[in-house]
Amino acid sequence: MLAYFNHLTPRHRRSWALVAAYLGFLFLVSFIDFGTNTAGQTIFRGVLLSMLIFLVASGLSLIFGLLDVLNFGQGAFVLVGAYVGYATYQAVELNSTLSFLAAAGAAIVSVGLLGAIIEAGLIRPLYERPVFQIVLTFGLAAVLIDLVERIWGPQPNQPLAPPEMFRGTFYLFGQSLSVYRLFIIALGLIIMIAVGLLLNRTRLGIIIRAGVQDAEMVQALGINVRRVFTFVFVLGAVLAGLAGIALVPYQGATLDMGNQFLIMAIVVVVIGGMGSYEGTAVASFIVGLTRAVAEQMSLKHFDAPVLAETSILLLMIAVLLIQPSGLFGREES
Amino acid sequence: MSNGASSPPILEVEGIHTFIGEFHILQGVTVEVPRGSITVLLGRNGAGKTTTLRSIMGLNAPRTGEIRFNGQRLNGLRAHQIAQRGIGYVPEKRIIFRDLTVAQNLQIAERQKGDLERKADLIFGLFPDLKRLIDLPGGHLSGGQQQMLAIARALVPDNTLLLIDEPSEGLAPVLIEQMMDAIHQLSSHTTVLLVEQNFQVASRLAERYVIIEEGASVHAGRMEDLIHDDELIKTYLGVA
Amino acid sequence: MSQHADRRLSRQAGPLLRFVRENWFYALALVVLWRFPYIVADLTGSEVMPRRPTGDSVFWQSVMAQTLLLACLAMSYNLLFGFAGIISFGHALYFGIGGYATFLLINEYQPGARWPVIIGVAALVFALGALAKIPWGRLAAVAVAVAVLLFFLLPGGGSPSVYQGIGVAILVSIALSLLSGAVTLRLRGVYFAMFTLALAEVFWVLAKSGTFHYLTGAEDGLPFRDIIPDVLNPTPTADGNRLQMYRVTVIFFAVVFLAIRRYVNSPVGRVIISTRENEQRARAIGYNVFHYKLLTMVFGGVLATLSGILFVLWSADKTVNPGLLSMNYTVEPLLTTLIGGLGTLTGPVIATLGLELGRTYLREETFTLGTQLFGLVTIWQALWMGGFALFFYVFRRGLRRVVTQVVGDPRRASVAVGALVIVVLAIVALAAQAIYAETDLDATVYKVADLWQLFQGLMFVVAVMLLPHGIVGTWNRWWYARRLRREERAAAALAARAAPSAPAAPLAEAERPGERA
Repeated sequence: MLAYFNHLTPRHRRSWALVAAYLGFLFLVSFIDFGTNTAGQTIFRGVLLSMLIFLVASGLSLIFGLLDVLNFGQGAFVLVGAYVGYATYQAVELNSTLSFLAAAGAAIVSVGLLGAIIEAGLIRPLYERPVFQIVLTFGLAAVLIDLVERIWGPQPNQPLAPPEMFRGTFYLFGQSLSVYRLFIIALGLIIMIAVGLLLNRTRLGIIIRAGVQDAEMVQALGINVRRVFTFVFVLGAVLAGLAGIALVPYQGATLDMGNQFLIMAIVVVVIGGMGSYEGTAVASFIVGLTRAVAEQMSLKHFDAPVLAETSILLLMIAVLLIQPSGLFGREES
Repeated sequence: MSNGASSPPILEVEGIHTFIGEFHILQGVTVEVPRGSITVLLGRNGAGKTTTLRSIMGLNAPRTGEIRFNGQRLNGLRAHQIAQRGIGYVPEKRIIFRDLTVAQNLQIAERQKGDLERKADLIFGLFPDLKRLIDLPGGHLSGGQQQMLAIARALVPDNTLLLIDEPSEGLAPVLIEQMMDAIHQLSSHTTVLLVEQNFQVASRLAERYVIIEEGASVHAGRMEDLIHDDELIKTYLGVA
Repeated sequence: MSQHADRRLSRQAGPLLRFVRENWFYALALVVLWRFPYIVADLTGSEVMPRRPTGDSVFWQSVMAQTLLLACLAMSYNLLFGFAGIISFGHALYFGIGGYATFLLINEYQPGARWPVIIGVAALVFALGALAKIPWGRLAAVAVAVAVLLFFLLPGGGSPSVYQGIGVAILVSIALSLLSGAVTLRLRGVYFAMFTLALAEVFWVLAKSGTFHYLTGAEDGLPFRDIIPDVLNPTPTADGNRLQMYRVTVIFFAVVFLAIRRYVNSPVGRVIISTRENEQRARAIGYNVFHYKLLTMVFGGVLATLSGILFVLWSADKTVNPGLLSMNYTVEPLLTTLIGGLGTLTGPVIATLGLELGRTYLREETFTLGTQLFGLVTIWQALWMGGFALFFYVFRRGLRRVVTQVVGDPRRASVAVGALVIVVLAIVALAAQAIYAETDLDATVYKVADLWQLFQGLMFVVAVMLLPHGIVGTWNRWWYARRLRREERAAAALAARAAPSAPAAPLAEAERPGERA
């Protein structure tokens, strides 16, 4: 751990300082404006949101780092995961925990398959035409979202009850919250650590990180990078799908979920730096907390949570103007 | 140690034409690399030397022509399959993985479990500095150390042919000496095909040469003959 | 040979005839569009200008007008993407902002705000320009120009007219283009795409948010029936208005088309095209790539905004609804541009017209899975066969490799693969039909209108994978390749007659490697 900090470049050290300062600023502003209780609740919400955003953004970042494709379909994967999970959760008549597991399984499998087919059949052949790859993911996302709407209808779906074991409530800052929220946070943390371990301790992870830097060289070392590409793409898709099913007992399943998370994931990747795993993790917190605080603020002062989107956009503009390669990304040549 | 007379060449490149996009880069390159030798590709900047190596490695597959390694056709194979046949590639600008440690850079080159363990003595014998730097991220190494690492990486698996592109580029003279020494030592059990812009280095390292001019191989032979042929040197290499 | 003929003809004919020869298609299209309401009236026996707004001709005038405007949107998108290589995922912003800017201004304008706004905007322009390091002289001129423009667009008393509103909307559009460009155009294309996506999303959320219902009408939309003069209202209360508006739309469409054509063929346009091909080289030659791209963005944005304003005027309920800012109006032009032909002039138009008119014409049509396609196979069978064909296509290389190993000879392998695919597809078709007979699938009746979007998406995927240059683009390439081949053959024939075959220049003799001294 210490070794990590020792090896940081001055630029990255500055980034960490900036992050700490910004988060401190956010906390301060919340406590001053909202008072301790509401601030605490807001921060809790922010952390929750950060975890979900991280699930979507980590896939985006890895896929972009390794395949050089910005997968605009990540949002659609969230959507598909949510709707397939929702349908399965309702359909399976076992006890709620098993139902939920089945739903999660269905979400993962369906999104994973989708991802594999898309990567192998549509993205790989377009390797020579990166512009078309981006356009394809974008168009495909639109098609997928439309398909979901056709199959399940445009009306928003109310959240379903979480599985039995998470149905309790607990008290936090004067508010009674569902234990399920803790589950989401725990899930996010576990995945964050798991993927981090994968990237740093396993051979596959080393290959991925090397490939992010120079996929051709990895190929020249005798490693079939294409299979790794597919793996990473599917992993990214699956994480997004997981976010989707995790949302079902929390927010239900609505059609504009996909885009919402896509935009936030995009901002995360820009802020954190393309292809940087730590960057994605840190930026997820930044975006999630910013959004929660902005929502609360605009709720308090304008009676509606509208300005959250704008705040995220402003963050993005700020980063693009000051440091386009992101906090922890590599320098853009 | 040249053994060209008695055994078939380890690598045969016959009349390859390679395109990059629509650009006709290689217009008929023929190279024969005798087993156990150090052969160098000479030529001016942009002549097509790097592209030749990349074509052999499968990174820019030739459109026509044949490439045979130990008698087996490499045409149509993908780069990782070619590498698995036992060809190591040390590219220009020594692409080592900056975020990975030296150890990880070496580990990633393993093709079978235990490769690195077996070759550890050889590698650290040739490049003792690497042992000291083993846990540093690749990006923290100096240019010379990175070059050592790049070559060491190619030694980890059981490669019988090494393709090395411009190893002396950007290195201080004393490091060049060190590197040449290393290459000489490893050539005793590995064939080396070299691209080297620096004629001094090339002439002291290689036993055989092939001159590439404007995408085509125009001359080949023994280095000891070339050294004395000023005419040829001036024509194709533009250097005294 | 054909060059010969060309030269002879043009020597005799002069520039006018040449103009006609090159543009006859466009002229014909324009005439057809102009007479379109009458053509429909003749075909359907309805009236072009009935007393009440009903009837086929009236309906199709509205459809065609909106389609033409969507085609303008597609053309503006093509200008950015096809010609300049700028990937925008937020083009709907420019389309929708026109209506909102125009009518919000008219609704909310206070004469007292005139001077504060003029001064404020001029100051902002000056400040931002200074940040961007624009030379003072030019910057001052621009700020003054903006101030003067605003002076004429913002009235001293009363509300602005629609035309003034449109003027302000154009300024807003330019401002948004400049903002997007300033922030991201210098970075990799991906950043621009992401930024435009986020920007459009923000405006869309703001437009449909209930908080601003008093301003924008949120989901209900911003009504403007009472604000616009009769002459701009295609829903006729006065007679002949729809036809007039229709004609205005056709003229607008023609102007947009010609403007884009002029722009693309101009020296500026050529620089932009060369930039798309090889940006580094363009920069090396000395072109300020950034400026040219920015210019194209602004131009494309303004065209989209104007199209959007006209589009809104044709809406049935005379409201500006937030859907105009939604992803829909970004995806549509993207799809149609790709299907039609990226970087071609007519591609997006043809694709938009084809898809939109097709969708409207077939909107009432229904079908079941058992409906026969061209009397050959049922839709059900076609779906299955299509699926398998796709599967084979995706794995064609692997398939060919496996079969080659089995059969040995690569040529026979191709034939074997072909035969295999045909046999499998035939079996699939028969099996599918058998399954179909056993089930109740015929019970579900589908409407074409519902599935059209999906169909469009499929066409998009097919276009990107198989026809990267779109329909028109692929046609153009085929046409030009054929002409080139003909000319080459003619030139070769000419050369063969001129000189007897000369020996090819001897290649440098390479000393055979491996030769021993």
